[in-house]
Amino acid sequence: MNWINGGIDRDSTLAPLPDVANRFQALYDSFWNQAHLAPSTLELCRLRLAQLHRSAADWSRVDCEIDAEKREHLADWSSHESFSDAERACLEFTEIYAMDVQAISDELAEAVKAHYGDAGLVTLVEALGIFDGMTRLSLLWQLASVEH
Amino acid sequence: MTSQARVTNSHAPTGNIIRDSALGLVPETLGNYMDLNRQLWEGGPLSPAEIEIARIRNARKVNCVFCKSVRYDIAQEDGLSEDRVQMIDDDYEQSNLTDREKLILAFTDQYLNDPAGLDSALKERLRQVFTPQELVHLSMVVAFFNGFSRCAVAIGGMPDELPVMTISVPQ
Repeated sequence: MNWINGGIDRDSTLAPLPDVANRFQALYDSFWNQAHLAPSTLELCRLRLAQLHRSAADWSRVDCEIDAEKREHLADWSSHESFSDAERACLEFTEIYAMDVQAISDELAEAVKAHYGDAGLVTLVEALGIFDGMTRLSLLWQLASVEH
Repeated sequence: MTSQARVTNSHAPTGNIIRDSALGLVPETLGNYMDLNRQLWEGGPLSPAEIEIARIRNARKVNCVFCKSVRYDIAQEDGLSEDRVQMIDDDYEQSNLTDREKLILAFTDQYLNDPAGLDSALKERLRQVFTPQELVHLSMVVAFFNGFSRCAVAIGGMPDELPVMTISVPQ
């Protein structure tokens, strides 16, 4: 239960502001229904952010089904054979984004664009902003993880 | 930070700063992004000046040149003068900002620096001054503008400095 309004998860925390909640949800849903970057790759990036922030609540979320082996070995994405080059490019970008967005290099951006194009890179940075933001809020609101 | 944009939107300009930015390359999210931006500015319990204080603090901490240079007209009309904007720095505790405004900055800094480390003293002060709805609104304001400024930095193409420019909430 959060310390603000007794909400137990993101939805119940946002519920007292339904107009904000509905517009946020519409934006969030649109990331999983766009045509530029594979939703499963976005989910890997979201989960990697959850790992880096040590957010149990966000690690326990499932926004898109992914291969169980990838989830298990996500911290080892750079060496584990189950990850594709496209996924590796996005995960490397995600890690630098999480540590210091000013440190993102042209090479990192080009690596993502090589697989997903300009619109794919924009989708990734836009999604990372929302994922990182909601992960930080889970921690700040002190939300617990949920069982699935 | 690169001064060369990593992505450019070559569509015909519309005069809308969000639609004409790189975000315009992803039509599936663009409208929803703009709807949430408008709702946060115009449909929550915090005043425009309070929203702007959080937004500018984030912009300065992330060092997004564009976000730092922008001033929203509705916040100016709500009483946020440039003199008060200058108080949004690391010495804000010693400034003439109100206690409520200082708490907005403390919340924003907590989000940026250590979201998992909120202590009970700050939590209690926030609960005494803000309603639960205001705290949820402030949370979403900080998260949204932080994501937007990080997006702008990641895409690149910004000069080292820009003059202060006043804009309206994109419709």
